[in-house]
Amino acid sequence: MRKFSIVLKYELREYVKNKSFVVVTLLLAIIGAIVLFAPRFFDMSWLVGTPSEQQVTVSDEETKGTMLLYDSEGLVNQELLSGAFPNVTWVEVDSVDAIKDKINSEEALAGFRVVSYTEYDYYILNRGIYSVEDSYFEAVLSASMRQAYFTENNLNADEIEALFATPITMNEQVLGKDSTDNYWYSYALVIIVFMLIVFYGQMIAVSVTNEKSNRAIEILVTTTTPNSLLFGKVIAGAIAGLCQVGVVLGAVLISYQMNRELWGGKLDMILNIPTEVLITFALFGIGGYLFYAFLYGAMGALVSKTEDISKSSSGLMIMIMIVYFISLMQLSNVDGIAMKVLSFLPISSYSAMFVRIAMGTVEMWEIVVSFVILVASIFAAGLIGAGIYRMGTLRYGNPVRLTSALKELKRSK
Amino acid sequence: MKLEVKNLKKSFAGTEVLHGVSFEVESGKALGLLGRNGAGKTTTMRILMDVFRAESGEIHLDGKVFKPSHEKIGYLPEERGLYPKRTVIDQMVYLARLRGLGTADAKRNSKKWLKRLEIEEYETRKLETLSKGNQQKVQLAATLVCDPDMIILDEPFSGLDPVNAQILKEVVGELIDDRKLVIFSSHQMSYVEQFCDSIAIIDKGNVILEGDLREIKKEYGQNRLILSSGNHTLQALNDKIKRSGEFPIFVDGITKDYLILKIEEAVTKNELLAQLIHSDILIEQFGSYEPSLNDIFVERVGDEA
Repeated sequence: MRKFSIVLKYELREYVKNKSFVVVTLLLAIIGAIVLFAPRFFDMSWLVGTPSEQQVTVSDEETKGTMLLYDSEGLVNQELLSGAFPNVTWVEVDSVDAIKDKINSEEALAGFRVVSYTEYDYYILNRGIYSVEDSYFEAVLSASMRQAYFTENNLNADEIEALFATPITMNEQVLGKDSTDNYWYSYALVIIVFMLIVFYGQMIAVSVTNEKSNRAIEILVTTTTPNSLLFGKVIAGAIAGLCQVGVVLGAVLISYQMNRELWGGKLDMILNIPTEVLITFALFGIGGYLFYAFLYGAMGALVSKTEDISKSSSGLMIMIMIVYFISLMQLSNVDGIAMKVLSFLPISSYSAMFVRIAMGTVEMWEIVVSFVILVASIFAAGLIGAGIYRMGTLRYGNPVRLTSALKELKRSK
Repeated sequence: MKLEVKNLKKSFAGTEVLHGVSFEVESGKALGLLGRNGAGKTTTMRILMDVFRAESGEIHLDGKVFKPSHEKIGYLPEERGLYPKRTVIDQMVYLARLRGLGTADAKRNSKKWLKRLEIEEYETRKLETLSKGNQQKVQLAATLVCDPDMIILDEPFSGLDPVNAQILKEVVGELIDDRKLVIFSSHQMSYVEQFCDSIAIIDKGNVILEGDLREIKKEYGQNRLILSSGNHTLQALNDKIKRSGEFPIFVDGITKDYLILKIEEAVTKNELLAQLIHSDILIEQFGSYEPSLNDIFVERVGDEA
């Protein structure tokens, strides 16, 4: 235990002394805080959606311009058209060619050729992702058809329209969890834990391989136990990662809470994370991280050159990617069988169980069993990892296959 | 403290590389492990340090099973290496602490050994910025930083210039004077000859010669004489002895300075000397032959070391 704590302190000090690690951590925290404090110093209404005079002006300006209408039958109700496009100047044309010419010469934004009440052609130079002119025009055409029908049949148009547009009041009472509220931060946290595992896992693998490539490993394994070395190294990485994420996430969450009203709650879906979800994320996230970190350490011991790490850890990477994609794809079905199974497997519970807790229905016994399995698996991964680490000592040259390493480990027991 | 290694056997991929290595060494003495490349010296040292496990054989320290993790051992492996991107003092203190020293003692000892090896000015430098020779001295300092009772040095002189080799010679001498148990391997027979009280020559996984160096030299020199002449070249002298058959000796070897002769058992040195005086050979050198370790090594292993 004493040697473990010496290794832990030494490795941890290396992280703290690493200028780029400290600078990146502080920089991310400061940038996050600056962005979230921005509404105190700048007018961010364009982003947060607070109504203001300027916003209305900007909105009006956006819909301003000239549009073309080729309506040989006179089907479109001009009053409705002007109401739907208040800042648009409508120019009547008498041919499709005229529409094309004016649009190509950028004299008009768009053009419509009305064939019937149920069919029209829409012309535009470059269509944007958020173009809505066609849907507005479609609504005008549809309303024009109804107006024509009401007039033709002597019906009271206002009364009928009001009947169809009766406002309905809905009082929602979510008794369980509201996925619409939890979806985005769950999504973000799944990505964060995935990035942590891959990033720090690779760092640990590189650190172990470096000890082989610079030949320090023979001194180390004759000085202390492989368990102390690998556990110290991995847990130091976990603490460093936790501190880094804690500082950045803490700065972001605190900054947001301090400026939440100014943001109009716009970022609640990502940054207003309930405490119990954060605790679960921390427990299962750290557990998953440790589980994979030990395996990454073992993968690092199988090779003697850092450029070979990607070969030895590719299987691990594929496994992590599969868990990652399944977790994200199943966010809309967290109580499905796939997530239930994944939430008990140590390779995936760090993500699946946390998502189930955040968004689904999960019993306490399920959380406890899943966590116990995860903790037991961490120790198993640690001991196997340390065994491979010890076995990999002095195995230079070509990468050692994981299967042969495990066989050798079994033989030596 | 007495270390006894008995009948170590070790195989790699089904090929036995050690066929029963045995030797012993005590505190205050140094054992030189000698052998050609691939003879099994490093494997033996790694078994001592528990880097490898032997298939059979025993290692005892003062009659009890030897467990390297329970002893204060300074080990300098053949594959040198520490952390290149970390400072000298940091990694020395780290290794000292891992070997059981408190922080203050670890710092004090680190500085002491860096000073003794004349590299104290590099203590705050990153290892990778030092020359290869100085990196090796840091490695040696790290080996000795925990004040070990037993020191195992695998090829400690390789890569050192003559000045640094002299410093290392002095340090090893001090360790022996300090009653430490020292085992080291080297190709440089002159160093082994200077420090070692006993040797073990390993050839192809077998110990072919083991014991007290003085005794071995005495045994190898028994009934052997050296002879050179003022009026014959060594080759002419060799031919004369072989051709005439008048002397109760035969030529056992030729060095650049003298012939090595083996005397017949029934004849004394005085009788031979009397015969030589009465011959036409003008004696330049005549005396007992004491072989160098190199001579013994070449004779036993069969090639130049």
